[in-house]
This record gives sequence, C-alpha cells and structure tokens, in this order.
Amino acid sequence: MTDTTAPLPQADVHGEPTARSPLARFFENWPPSVLLALGWVALMLVIAIGADHIAPYSFTGMDLTSRLSPPVFMGGSWSHLLGTDELGRDVFSRLVQSIRMSLLIAFFGTLIAATLGTSLGFLAAHFRGKVEALVLMLIDFQASMPFLIIALAVLAFFGNSLPLFIVLMGFNGWERYARIARGLTISAHEQGYASAVRQLGASPWRTYGHHILPNIASTLIVSMTLSFPETILMESGLSFLGLGVQPPMTSLGNMVGYGREYITRAAWIMLSPALVIVLTTLSISMIGDWLRDRLDPTLQ
Amino acid sequence: MIRFILSRGLRALVTIFLVVTFAFIVLRLSGDPAMQILSVDAPPEAIEAFRNEWGLNQPIWQQFLDYLLNVLRGNFGDSMREGRPAMDIVLDHVGATLMITLPALALKILIGIPAGIYAALHRNSLADRVTMMLSVAGFTVPSFVLALVLVLIFSVHLGWLPSTGNATWKHAILPIITLGTAGAAILARFTRSAMLEVLGQSYIRAASAKGLVWRQVVTGHALPNAAIPTITIVGFMIGSLIAGAVVVESVFSWPGIGYLLISAVANRDLAVVQSILLLIAACMVCANLVVDLLYGWIDPRVRLSAAH
Repeated sequence: MTDTTAPLPQADVHGEPTARSPLARFFENWPPSVLLALGWVALMLVIAIGADHIAPYSFTGMDLTSRLSPPVFMGGSWSHLLGTDELGRDVFSRLVQSIRMSLLIAFFGTLIAATLGTSLGFLAAHFRGKVEALVLMLIDFQASMPFLIIALAVLAFFGNSLPLFIVLMGFNGWERYARIARGLTISAHEQGYASAVRQLGASPWRTYGHHILPNIASTLIVSMTLSFPETILMESGLSFLGLGVQPPMTSLGNMVGYGREYITRAAWIMLSPALVIVLTTLSISMIGDWLRDRLDPTLQ
Repeated sequence: MIRFILSRGLRALVTIFLVVTFAFIVLRLSGDPAMQILSVDAPPEAIEAFRNEWGLNQPIWQQFLDYLLNVLRGNFGDSMREGRPAMDIVLDHVGATLMITLPALALKILIGIPAGIYAALHRNSLADRVTMMLSVAGFTVPSFVLALVLVLIFSVHLGWLPSTGNATWKHAILPIITLGTAGAAILARFTRSAMLEVLGQSYIRAASAKGLVWRQVVTGHALPNAAIPTITIVGFMIGSLIAGAVVVESVFSWPGIGYLLISAVANRDLAVVQSILLLIAACMVCANLVVDLLYGWIDPRVRLSAAH
C-alpha cells in the first residue's frame, strides 16, 4: 500500500541524511521568520526597559515652533525622527513611552489572567461538585459575552485609573486558562504521580504547586504567548476609543486614537504606533505558534 | 434529545441571568447616578426627587428584584437622558448596525470558507501560504488600524469613498470591508484546520481505498465532517452581529449599537447600557444555543455524552 499523503523526506533519497549543512539544520529548528519575530520582540523589550534613555524628548514636552512637522522620510528634519503632532510633541518619544505602557499593561494583564484562570481551574478540578459547576458557569458567562462590551461597561461606570485598567485586562481570557488547567488536572489525577504524591501525605498546596503545575506549565506558557497579543489588541482598542489609558499618559492605541483626528493632514501621527501594534502582535503570535509546535502538539 | 435540549436551554437561561446580575451590580455599585447626572452642586431637594423618581432610595436587593420583574415584563427602564424607554432607543439603532454587519457576515462566509477549503486541499501550495499569511494578518491587525488605513487610501488619497457618516450607501462600503476582511481571514484559518484534521482521518483513506473519485471523497465525506467545527465559529459570528462592530462604528461614526453604547457609557445612561448588554447577551446566548442544538443534531456523540 502506498501512502500518498506523506512523501518520504528528500534527504534519504540522496544518500546520508547527515549531508545537510549545520546551517540548514539550525534554520530548521529556528525558522528565519521566528528569528525575525524574536528580534523584534527583543527590540521592543529593550525600548520598554530603557525608555527614559532612548527617548530624545520628554513625551509630554511641547515645541510649539515645530508643530505637525513630518518625519524624516517624508521630508522632515532629523531633530524629530518620526515627526511631531499638533502640539509639537515628538512622535518618536511618545512612541517609546507608549511601547513601554502597552507592554506593561499586556504583561501584567496576561499574568493576572493566567494566575486567576489556573487557580480557578485547580479549584474546579480539586473540589469537583458544586465548586466545579460554579466555575464552569463563570467560564460559560465569560465566553458568551464579548469582553469588549464587559470592559466598556466596567470602565465607564467605575471611572478609569491605571491599576483598575490593568486588573480589568487581567479578566480578558482567564477562562481559557481555567479550562486548560481544569482539564489537565483532572487527567493528572488519573495518572499515577498525582495520587502517589497525595497518598504520601502531601498537602494540596504542595501537590498542585510542586507537582501538577510543573507538569502542565508548558501548555500554560504556550497559551500565555498566544493570549498576550490579544491583550495588547484589547488594550489598544479601548485606549483608541478613549476609554483605556488616559492622557497625559500614553499608549499605542491612544496615539492612534489621537492621530485619527489628523489623518488627512498628518497621517504619520497614527501610522508609526499602528505599525508597532501590528508588528508586535504578529511577532508574538508567530513565536507562540512556533512554541506550541515545539512544546505542545496537543494544543491546536 | 429532549433532555439534551433542556440542559442546554437551562444553561442559556443561567447565562442570561448572570448577565442581568452582572449589569445590575456593576452599574449600581459604581457610584451614585444622581450625583453623576445632576452634578454634585445640584440642590439637595432635586437630588432627593431624582432618587425617588428612579427608585434609588430603596435597598439594593429591592432595586434588583424590581429590575428583574421589569425585565421579565419587557420593561427595561427609561433612558435618563431622553426620558423614553431605553429598549426603544436601542432597537432604533439595531437596523444601522445590521446594515453593515449582515453584508460583512456574507463577505466572511463567501470568502473565508472557500479560501479555507481550497488552502487545505492544496496544502503547502502558494495559494495556501498566501491564505495563511492573510489569515495571520486578520488576527493581528486591529480593526481600527485596518479601518484607518482604508480611510487613508480610499478617502484621503483616492477620494473614492466617504470616510464618516451614513448618508448614502457609499458610506457603508468601508465599514463592511473592514469587518468582512478581518472575519474572512479568521474563518479561513478555522476552515482550513478543520479540513486538514478531517483529511487526516482513516475514514477518508477508507473512502479513497474503496475507489471513490477524490471529488466524491471531498464532497461526500470530508466537507460534512469539517462543517461541524466551522459551524461553531459561524454561530459565534452570527451571535456577535450586534456587538461586533463597536470599534468600527466608532471609527466611521456609524450610528449603530456600538456608537450608542459608547455615548451611553460616556453619559452614564444606565438604562441604555443595561438594555444593550441584555440584547447582546441574548443574541450571543441564542446563537450558542442554536449551535449546540445543531451540533447535537448533526453529531450523535454530542447529544449522547450530554445526556449522561
């Protein structure tokens, strides 16, 4: 019987499989697109950490003598690399500050969602019965309402402060971690190691923290990489609508939202933050897909 | 089957109840609406009168019970701003939203599903790679960025289409394209992976082995099985016909539900926000319920496992 769906690897036909160069093997493990993505994310991290040293101007500093000056590649001057906005604020300096703010919010948001979701998943799997039913009900609720709508209601009615906004972002997508943690924990209990540890007298704290969590960590980390870009998108969407990060603070979505007022006269104000949003979310999702294929083929 | 329908129906009701409760708690505990609407330096008598009129002086559980009873009677409260039933105002805006989301849904289905099927059947071909690249873009380009780029190209530079408002049918084109392309990319990705999963199954090999032409294998065996996961995502898209355009409506100043929601939120118009939340929740829950039931109808394994 011939298997038409999976052709044999070419290398076997041409003699020894070891004939491939080390470089080719390196790129097989680390595809160029992933390397580029990693490079971009590293750059963003450097910018976020060193924002104060990188930005040439204060992000709120106004220079009314050079308002709406275009970026270098559109005929502007080198003193404002990416141009200035209506108030003469340097777009590059604002971009650097926005990258820091957006990454910060997305990082803590993802961390909160993962912690909250995993804990609820553990609780559901540990107690079963009514607790599990309650957690499943909450998961259903969260999954059945578009998060943007919930976030809009909460933000507008509780007012807006940065800590509240970060916590709110932490509620974005927690249900996914809860589902994963619950499912994997239930199957871990069916395997030998979890019950062995329990019968040796380990506390639940120890069983979950030292034994089950490390065993399901790779799946959780992959989900975190996949939901990080979603948190960036949610944050920038809300900030774009004017309901997220509030001035004088700035974030990527904020800059795009501000720039849309000037789209006919000064499109550069919104283009650079928009490009950063797209490239960053794209890079992180590519890394996430690649990690998933490497670490956890069961997640699709 | 009846047990299956009942269990899913009950779940839908519980979710609706949770949404109502959530809306009520968030909106009422977040601050004194009398202060927000009338401003802090309004005379005390005016604030007192306002509270009495809107029932804000009663204990919170009493307000909640009243609210539930009113919702059951189809009374969703009056808009504090406009003084007429909130649900009427909301329903006035549904048409505008559907005017862009329905054509966008058609666009998603007509482009996304065939593209996904084609990509899966021609795996690793150029067409497959292009489809996949576009679908990744669909996940990572936020709708407001896509919308603004389209405005920049078609309104600012080419001057072909208007950028904001809803005066003519031309105004609807850019919002529809924005919503449709992003959704089509997502749908293509789901359809492709559903197809690939099905094509790897042994029954496909069995169908080929018994001598069926490839076209018959695809139309008779692969497509019906791949339809099951695709229905879920289409169901979700139908459920979000009303809620899915908030950002896009805001970019294009399209006077639909999303536009209304944002202004109601800015004005703290409690009744309108609650009505929108309820309407959206009802749509989502109904769509989920229909998908669940379709699932159970198409795939006997689902309804049997749910019965236990």
